[in-house]
Amino acid sequence: MKQIQDAYIVAAVRTPVAKRKGLFKNVRPDELLAHVLREVVAKAPGLDPTLIGDVIVGCAMPEAEQGMNVARIGVLLSGLPNCVPGITINRFCSSGLQAVSDAANQIRLGQAEVMIAAGTESMTVMNHMMGNKVTVSPDVFAHDENRAIAFGMGLTAEKVATQWQIGREAQDTFAVESHRRACAAIAAGQFSAEIAPYEIVEHLPDGHSGAVREVRRWANDDEGARGDVTLESLAKLRPVFHAKGSVTAGNASQMSDGAAAVLLVSEKILKQFNLVPLARFCSFAVAGVPPEIMGIGPIAAIPKALQQAGIGQQDLDWIELNEAFAAQALAVLKDITLDPAKVNPQGGAIALGHPLGATGAIRTATLVHGLQRTGGKYGMVSMCIGTGMGAAGVFERL
Amino acid sequence: MNFTIRKAAVLGAGVMGAQIAAHLANADVPVLLFDLAGPQGDGNRVVNKALAGLKKLQPAPVVKRDRLQYIDAANYDEHLEQLRDCDLIIEAIAERMDWKNALYTKIGPFLSSTAIIASNTSGLSIAALADGLPEALRGNFCGIHFFNPPRTMPLVEIVPTPSSDAAMLDRLETWLTTRLGKGVIRALDTPNFVANRIGVFSLLATMRHAETFGLAPDTVDALTGPKIGRPKSATYRTGDVVGLDTLAHVVTTLHASLPNDPWHVLFSLPGWLRGLIERGALGQKSRGGVFRKQGKAIQVFDPTSGDYRDSRNEVALEVTAILGMHDPVGRLWALRTSSHPQAQFLWAIFRDLFHYCAVQLGEVAESARDLDLALRWGFGWAQGPFELWQAAGWHETAEAIAADIAEGRTLSSTPLPGWVTAPERSGVHAAQGSWSARQNTHVPRSKLPVYRRQIFPELLLGEIGARPESAGETLFENEGLRFWRLPAVDRGIGIVSFKTKMHALGGSVIEGMQAALAQAEAELDGLVIWHDAPFAVGADLKELMTAVDDREWAKIAAYIERFQQTTMAIKYAQVPVVAAVQGLALGGGCEFAMHAARRVMALESQLGLVEVGVGLIPAGGGCKELALRCARWAAESGTATEQLARLTPAFMAVATGKMAKNAVEAIDLGFAERSDPIRFHPRELLFAALKQARALADIGYAPAQPVRGVPVLGRAGIAAMEMTLVNMREGGMISAHDYRVSRAVAEALCGGEVEAGTLVDEHWLLAVERRVFLELLQTPETQARIRHLLDTGKALRN
Repeated sequence: MKQIQDAYIVAAVRTPVAKRKGLFKNVRPDELLAHVLREVVAKAPGLDPTLIGDVIVGCAMPEAEQGMNVARIGVLLSGLPNCVPGITINRFCSSGLQAVSDAANQIRLGQAEVMIAAGTESMTVMNHMMGNKVTVSPDVFAHDENRAIAFGMGLTAEKVATQWQIGREAQDTFAVESHRRACAAIAAGQFSAEIAPYEIVEHLPDGHSGAVREVRRWANDDEGARGDVTLESLAKLRPVFHAKGSVTAGNASQMSDGAAAVLLVSEKILKQFNLVPLARFCSFAVAGVPPEIMGIGPIAAIPKALQQAGIGQQDLDWIELNEAFAAQALAVLKDITLDPAKVNPQGGAIALGHPLGATGAIRTATLVHGLQRTGGKYGMVSMCIGTGMGAAGVFERL
Repeated sequence: MNFTIRKAAVLGAGVMGAQIAAHLANADVPVLLFDLAGPQGDGNRVVNKALAGLKKLQPAPVVKRDRLQYIDAANYDEHLEQLRDCDLIIEAIAERMDWKNALYTKIGPFLSSTAIIASNTSGLSIAALADGLPEALRGNFCGIHFFNPPRTMPLVEIVPTPSSDAAMLDRLETWLTTRLGKGVIRALDTPNFVANRIGVFSLLATMRHAETFGLAPDTVDALTGPKIGRPKSATYRTGDVVGLDTLAHVVTTLHASLPNDPWHVLFSLPGWLRGLIERGALGQKSRGGVFRKQGKAIQVFDPTSGDYRDSRNEVALEVTAILGMHDPVGRLWALRTSSHPQAQFLWAIFRDLFHYCAVQLGEVAESARDLDLALRWGFGWAQGPFELWQAAGWHETAEAIAADIAEGRTLSSTPLPGWVTAPERSGVHAAQGSWSARQNTHVPRSKLPVYRRQIFPELLLGEIGARPESAGETLFENEGLRFWRLPAVDRGIGIVSFKTKMHALGGSVIEGMQAALAQAEAELDGLVIWHDAPFAVGADLKELMTAVDDREWAKIAAYIERFQQTTMAIKYAQVPVVAAVQGLALGGGCEFAMHAARRVMALESQLGLVEVGVGLIPAGGGCKELALRCARWAAESGTATEQLARLTPAFMAVATGKMAKNAVEAIDLGFAERSDPIRFHPRELLFAALKQARALADIGYAPAQPVRGVPVLGRAGIAAMEMTLVNMREGGMISAHDYRVSRAVAEALCGGEVEAGTLVDEHWLLAVERRVFLELLQTPETQARIRHLLDTGKALRN
């Protein structure tokens, strides 16, 4: 089969990203998903929801509250007609971007005319980063070449820092800048087009009256960005993953809760329902790298995605490069010489948070709205992936 | 009438008040912690801030974080009504008579008529405070002086007023002793009471003599610390710990309230110390006082140069030799007659301390015993002044002091009181009791029933009383232990007491234990393992290394198996075995305790399976017991994934050689069970253990059947644990040998390289322990660790 038509993004929304056990500590990931599904469909008034061919949802730890094929649960909770199906997919940190690509491809192949790509992740509901039951194959330890499968992500960042010679101060400086940009963007309202504020409803005991109290409040902005982060304050943090390392809690991405959804349609649907596209999906690529330096994944994925899109690196106006760790982000910047000014102009995961499987969809929303606001043409979302992969997707603003 | 304190209130959330509240919470006493009201809507702000501060304090005031939630924050504006339910109110606000009186007036209407009201003042007159109370409350009022930190310092001085109700005082003393585990003395209402009066005098006299002899603070602290049976904080560092400003305040109080004390001129701090206070160098709380940390180096303020320099340890070899002498008579004589200034200095500080205590005994304490115990319990001295004097030869020392007085060498020319030099006197502690200068006779120990729980109370040097090593009736004795009983308490319960150094477990202890168990099963109703702290520091490594050097692997294998048979014999004895644990219970000691039917633990017990420090794993059934417990907990929780979640903390504890910091944590780590009683007073342990064994026996004790059909985590569990190890190894946190040892721990805890969920029995788990233990023992790295520990007493990281 070959591509018969283009896929266009007509809406992209996300929740604010909350800190782990923060604003959304009592909000389930399936509820967050249902919220963004409702909101994204509402952005295309008049579009017949029964036309939605599938809802593809990225989730990196699809178990417990976000298990049971959370995509289908989210669809049903959202009030979409029950003829709309749902599938949960997982490629760890790129799950949300993978969902966008998979959804676009359904349209490009002519298998669907309307698709939703989404991502949802609550790291609050996970006991461990690695899921509720950590269990790896004994074979990992039986062969030296497999041991890196067991490496914690922070340890891989240390290895990247060593190999690409990214020092502690450079990492901390990068982290401070991430917070600065994020705070500035939030203050300027630059996320307002993409964020669908979430009303948190919590049921708490009232010790005085003995009744259950319903507390309602709105989550409007990302929770992780801090205005008070300085080089001095970050310098006080101790390395976590290596006795003599440079990776700290302050120059690594934050653990977070959040969700996003992207509505994609064919050209036929654009015309039929008189919809205005935000962007055209151009390309997507993934690539494998050694697991012990998983952070450099984008170095392998970005050239592939650009080549498929038929553009050069210089054509990119905006790059959302997920900041899993300052060390790996800086290694990527250095290795393929990306322009730091164009990378994460509104801050990255160190400040804004990284709800694993949702991040790809969230940053797609940031990218397409950012390009709209600034008038840029081509943009890219890219990230590294645990166990050694990279992903990159290219979009063109319309 | 039964007396209990259902609820307590502490007024004043300062350093002492908050910590006292914390210790009440440790003892499961619901407590209200009061302070001034904060702004509208945030009334408990002051107390909440204090409670937050407790979390950061070291040593920790609470045995477990969750205890803090049992302290209710309160303020004087909103919550006085709640005082009505309180049976004990401890006032610990700032040392101002007018403030305290105003507070008493304010709370008066809200107090129950039976509530005990006690002030934790350290400087004000209790009688004067009582005068500010409504008449009706005075009978229930007294002083209650805790020492910092109140969780671990044993001393509480109860200070009665003339109107204090005698029965109330007895009830309070009883409760403080058995519930909070305190060492109580009845103090007289004199300035700074007993411990601070003598202890601070000693500090000041030491500082004065330091000036005279030209000794710098670091030298003084090196001389006046553990070398003479006092805490490491010695003299100046004690000032840094309590705060130099606080010390200055106490000294000012002494100066103002004791105008007629013959040593009155001494009650001031040296000028250079006052200078440090003015500069804000107040000690630990301001990150620098007499001592300060500069990077890794410790610096000391040198009064001669007026600046800090690196701290040194300049104790002369000949003085060290004198202080190492075992005979107290010869030791003090040698100090006195040596011409070395450091020795002369030490003689001078002992002499003036003895002199002061002798002159003031009648004024400050009911008896010499109270004075000595106050210094032991409140200042951490190994011996009080009078017992030291008595041990050094009463008469000779008295004559030497008198001679120095006559020659004008002492800090005061006041002559020794007549009772000191009476010809028939050989000391102050005698068979009929300890000397009371006030009553001009010897007075016996308190007859309060609570002290019957202390079968062997803490005895002073020279004090006559029952000592465990010779008490009771010996059933048999070998090199490693004595098996005996106390017919006066319970002739049906045998007591095993280890005799080895640090109560290490060697062959004679193992064989003795087997024999004791056999005899108990044949003739007795139960068995208690008890001796003073430590409970046991583990297997006898010297014995083990001798066998290693001779390459007697078969003999070692047999020894390990015999050790396991012994812990299994403890577990499956036909009579209940109760381990009375206090202090360290490490390695094999911890395993002995884990296999007992019950543990009766002193709160301050440190249990741990720390074998990894010497490159080994627990192989006396410790890993097996943890595996069994975690499997049981998982089964009780009803979820299969729980077993790994339970076993992971146990793995981390064993793999890192983590020691439980107290009995409560020991339960959390799986070294003890929730049903095990915890006693706050270590001297009550034997009594409690005997009663526990008796109760188990009387209700028809029978051991459970050996456990079968236990699911183990096997290969999957080992892999999950190895994942952590890989990251620690790659992260440069552990060595290759650490990795190997820790993986062996995982293997023993997971039942070996079998499939997850495999059902095994105890013997299988023991066999895995033995195998990996022997594999490790044959590695050069493990042998190097053991040798290093034996040679240096320190752990080797290789």
